[in-house]
Amino acid sequence: MDKLSQQKSGGGCTISKRIVEAYVGEYASGKSEVAVNRALELSRDGRKVNLVDLDIVEPCYTLRPIKKELESAGMTVLAWETRDTIGLGEAGNIIKPECRWALYREGDVILDIGYGVEGAKTLNLLEGVDETPEMQIFAVINVKRPMTSTVPEILDYIKELGPIDGLINNTHLGDETTPEVVEEGARMVTEVSKILGIPVVATTADQEVAKKIGQQDVMGNPVRPLTRFMPRTFW
Amino acid sequence: MSEKPITGEKRAFMTGNEVVAWAALAAGADIMYGYPITPQNEIMHYWTRQIPKYGRKFLQTEDELSAGFTTVGGVLAGLKAFTATAGPGNTLMQEPLSMAEMMRLPVVTVVQQRGGPSTATVIYSQQEVTLTTLGGNGEGMRVVYSPSNHQELFDYTIKSFNTAWKYRFPTFVLGDGYQAKMRESVTLYDPEEKGITFVTPERYVGKPGTPGVDRDPGHYRNTYNTEEELFEVLQQHFADFEKMAPEVIEYSQESVEDADVIIIGHGVVFRGVRDAVKELREEGLKVGYFRPITLRPFPAEQLKALATQGRKLLIAESAQGQLARLVKDAIYGATAEIVPMFRPGVGITTEQIVAKVKEVL
Repeated sequence: MDKLSQQKSGGGCTISKRIVEAYVGEYASGKSEVAVNRALELSRDGRKVNLVDLDIVEPCYTLRPIKKELESAGMTVLAWETRDTIGLGEAGNIIKPECRWALYREGDVILDIGYGVEGAKTLNLLEGVDETPEMQIFAVINVKRPMTSTVPEILDYIKELGPIDGLINNTHLGDETTPEVVEEGARMVTEVSKILGIPVVATTADQEVAKKIGQQDVMGNPVRPLTRFMPRTFW
Repeated sequence: MSEKPITGEKRAFMTGNEVVAWAALAAGADIMYGYPITPQNEIMHYWTRQIPKYGRKFLQTEDELSAGFTTVGGVLAGLKAFTATAGPGNTLMQEPLSMAEMMRLPVVTVVQQRGGPSTATVIYSQQEVTLTTLGGNGEGMRVVYSPSNHQELFDYTIKSFNTAWKYRFPTFVLGDGYQAKMRESVTLYDPEEKGITFVTPERYVGKPGTPGVDRDPGHYRNTYNTEEELFEVLQQHFADFEKMAPEVIEYSQESVEDADVIIIGHGVVFRGVRDAVKELREEGLKVGYFRPITLRPFPAEQLKALATQGRKLLIAESAQGQLARLVKDAIYGATAEIVPMFRPGVGITTEQIVAKVKEVL
C-alpha cells in the first residue's frame, strides 16, 4: 500500500483496498511513463490491475507499441491496438468504449490521461466517477518543462487542471538527468505542495538515478524508480 | 514589447513543436498566422499560450491558403511573421508562398512533414522535400533548412528569420512529425546574448512620405504583362540567389576522406546515419557521411567533390527518392555509384543502415 492510501485508511476517510489513480499533467510531463510504471508495480504485487489509455487527442500512439508487453506482465491494458485503429484515419480520435466504463472493472484502475489540460477534462467522459470515491487524481510535474519551470507557473498550471489529490515530481532531462535535476524538482514541487495543501505522492526517477537518490528525496518524498518505456513508443 | 522570453541559458525537456514556438519568441517574431494540422498543432498551441506575456499576436485563418496569404500580408506590413503547416496544408501553402517568391517576401514557414500523398499519416516522413524545396509554380527561389535535433530546431528557426529578412527569400524550416512530437533536452537561450544580431524588419507598404516625392514608390508585383519584364526580374532573382548561396549553404560531413561508402541523409534520418557511421568505423569499415543542412540552396559542389570514381553514395531517406533527386541533380557528371535506401513514410534505424552498408560494401 502506498503512503497516501495508508494515510487515508489510517484517518478513516476511505476504507478501500482498491486503488484508482488518474495521472494528469502538462503535455509531455511524463504521465504515461509514471502511469505505466505504477501499474507494473501494483501488478508485481499480485494485484489485479487495469491500465487505461485515455488520451483522446492522440489516442493509440502512446501505449499501443508496448501494449502486448504490458499485458504479458499480467495486467489488463485498455488501449487501441494497431489492427483496431486501421481505418480510423489520422489520429483515430474516438474514445475506446471500454475505456469509458473502466471504473466499473474489478481490481485497480490506473488512468493515463493524455494531453495536458484538455486531457484532464477527459475525466468528465468517464462513467462511474461519483461511485468511485477512492479515485485519486495525481498531477505529474517536470520542472524542466518550460511551461512548469517555476513555482508560480506550476501553481497556475495546477489551477487549470481542476481538482488534484496529489503531486508527483517527475523532473528529468531525458538521458541527461542527474540526482541534482530531480532534487531541484523535488524542492519546487514540495513548495507547491505546501502552498496548496496537496501532498507530494512521490518523486519518480529513472532506475539509475533513483538508486543514487535513495528511498527518499532531499525533501523526504518517497522515490519511485521508473523503467523507461516511452522512448520505445511513438509520442 | 514586454519582457524577454528567455534570459541566460536554460536547459529544458521539450517536444520539437514547443521548441519551434520558443525559438520564434526568442527570434522576436511579431505574429504567427496558422491553420491547425497535425503534427504542427503544438507550435500554435505553445505560441498562443505564451504570447499574452510578450505582446505578440496570432491569427487563426480558415485554411492554409489564408494562413499563407495573411503571413505574406504581415510581412508586407513590416512584421516578422511566420506560419507552420504540414502535408496537405503545405500543398495549399504553396500558392501564397509562390507569391512570396515572386515578390521576394521574407516569409518564414515551418513544415512538420507528414506521410503522403494526401492526408495519409502524421508521424514519420520525409516526403515533403520536393514540395518544400520546389513547390511553387514558376521558378521561385527559397531557402530550406533541415534540422535533425531539437537544438537545431531551435537554432535554425531563429536563423531562418534572419536569413529571410537579410536576403528576402521565403525561408523554410523542414521538420517532421517525429521531431515535432519527440521529447529531448535543449538549451534555450536569448539569441542576442549569444551575439546574434537580428536583421530589422522593414515595411513594404504604408511607409511614411509621398511615393515618388519623398521616396521611391513601393512597387511589389506578382503579375507581369510582358514576357521581357518577367524574364528580367527573374534573372535578378537567380543572380541574387546565386550570390547568396555560398553564404547560406550549410552541410556537415565526417570520415569521408578514405570512405568507400558515403551515407547521405538529412533531418531526422541523419540521427541514424551519424550513429551508423560511428558504429561501422569502430568495426574498421571505411564509411563516412555527408549531410545537407540546407536542402536549398543545396551543397552541390561540396557533395560533388566527394562523388568520385569507385565510391558508393548510399542515400537513406524516409521517402521514395526525394533527397536522391536533389543529390543526382547536384552531382551530375560524377561517377560515384548511387545506392538507394528508400523507406517512404517510415523510420530508418541505425541497425538498418548498418546492415545496408554491410550488404553493399
